[in-house]
Amino acid sequence: MIPTAFEYLAPTTLDEALSALSTHEDAKILAGGHSLIPTMKLRLASPRYLIDISRISDLAYIRESGGQISIGAAATHYMVESSGLLKQKCPLLPETAAYIGDVQVRNKGTIGGSLAHADPAADWPAAVLAAGAEIRVRSSQGERTVKAEDFFVDMMTTALRPNEILTEIRIPVPPPRTGSAYEKVKQPASGFAIVGVAVQITLDANRSCQQVQIGITGLASKAFRATGVENELKGKVVNDQVLAQAAQKAAEGVEPLSDIHASAEYRAHLARVHTRRALQRAVSRI
Amino acid sequence: MKIEGSHTLKGKPEKVWNTLTNPDVLAKCIPGCEKLEKTGEDTYSATLNMGIGSVKGTYTGQVKLTDKQPYSSYKMLVEGKGKPGFVKGEGVLNLQEQDGNTLVTYQGDAQVGGTIASVGQRMVQGTAKMIIGQFFTALDMLMEQQSGASTGASPGAPPPKSFFFKVALRYFWNQIKQALGVKN
Repeated sequence: MIPTAFEYLAPTTLDEALSALSTHEDAKILAGGHSLIPTMKLRLASPRYLIDISRISDLAYIRESGGQISIGAAATHYMVESSGLLKQKCPLLPETAAYIGDVQVRNKGTIGGSLAHADPAADWPAAVLAAGAEIRVRSSQGERTVKAEDFFVDMMTTALRPNEILTEIRIPVPPPRTGSAYEKVKQPASGFAIVGVAVQITLDANRSCQQVQIGITGLASKAFRATGVENELKGKVVNDQVLAQAAQKAAEGVEPLSDIHASAEYRAHLARVHTRRALQRAVSRI
Repeated sequence: MKIEGSHTLKGKPEKVWNTLTNPDVLAKCIPGCEKLEKTGEDTYSATLNMGIGSVKGTYTGQVKLTDKQPYSSYKMLVEGKGKPGFVKGEGVLNLQEQDGNTLVTYQGDAQVGGTIASVGQRMVQGTAKMIIGQFFTALDMLMEQQSGASTGASPGAPPPKSFFFKVALRYFWNQIKQALGVKN
């Protein structure tokens, strides 16, 4: 099917885009379009206005300043995947980007768009949770920052208000002796994550866990931090056994989804297995 | 698709029963309910405008309450059809007194078809959970507002938009609190 009729707007500044968003009630932001256009083609979504932000300068960038890396919301998955700066300082993100969709999707889809869409099986939410990211959001009234843990509210629902645009993702540069990994169980046809686990772990000189952040996607109606696992690890000297035991708590505190691809029990099992693998891989990289 | 769960509502079973079988209340609490009109004994036609994220649609259909055992249980049959697909479900609600409040447990079976079912099958269960959650949040808020007196609204009148907004706020705030482990 083709989408229902819509008006197309292509603002050249962020203020124009924000004003268009406030003026038109049934409007959606268009970035890479790889989450929105498929739903429009199925006529599951029929926004009357599409506000294309691809012509706005300085929304797609990756730069470092003051111990933080800032990623513009319109940065494509490919930009993140191939960024030398990220590969060196925060390799979790380029690693995760490589698992998203396919080459064509990665060349058009954007990190901001994916986060705003908040598909329960998307990869970025898990990675930004594990990286301890902050999400910058702007409206015509001003800007605000939302912590990643507070950003994902429910299935396809974020803390973004109807008149706001996601502008930037900020990540603290991980300290030395930090390892990270992303484990994904791909649904073979769609490529979505049946379960995806992102881990960022910092050890001190005695190999005891100083800091750990685990983001899990695909398991529940939204991506979440596996705090059960994190609490089991903090302060403990880390070895394969400790990691395996902590990983058993991966599905704690959430209700796993059940669908034709995987039952709730199987999903929970996958989460436990792949949390263990992600932890072990992350630690081996330290 | 099996749906089951429970929710504790403030008030004794008699009060909760009357609230849950009151069409004015249902019209205010069913998410996206724009119209609920009585068409027969315990039968209502409904227009619902609901969805998650960018996937929104209008569904028209029927709600029927049967097997009413006053103050303890009833069966609800729901049928809805819209552009994104159709829903057909039936569920039994049980009310039990618990410490002066009422524990409502529900079990049901829903069939979903059309585009949302074929393409969005992986999201159907999560969405059903969210809609039911929003329903009970709205019910909580409504029962807080009311002091047992009738709402005075005429049947079939659309509920104020601001109420839905407040419900959504409360529901999502509860989700956030739950995720952060904050006790209510």
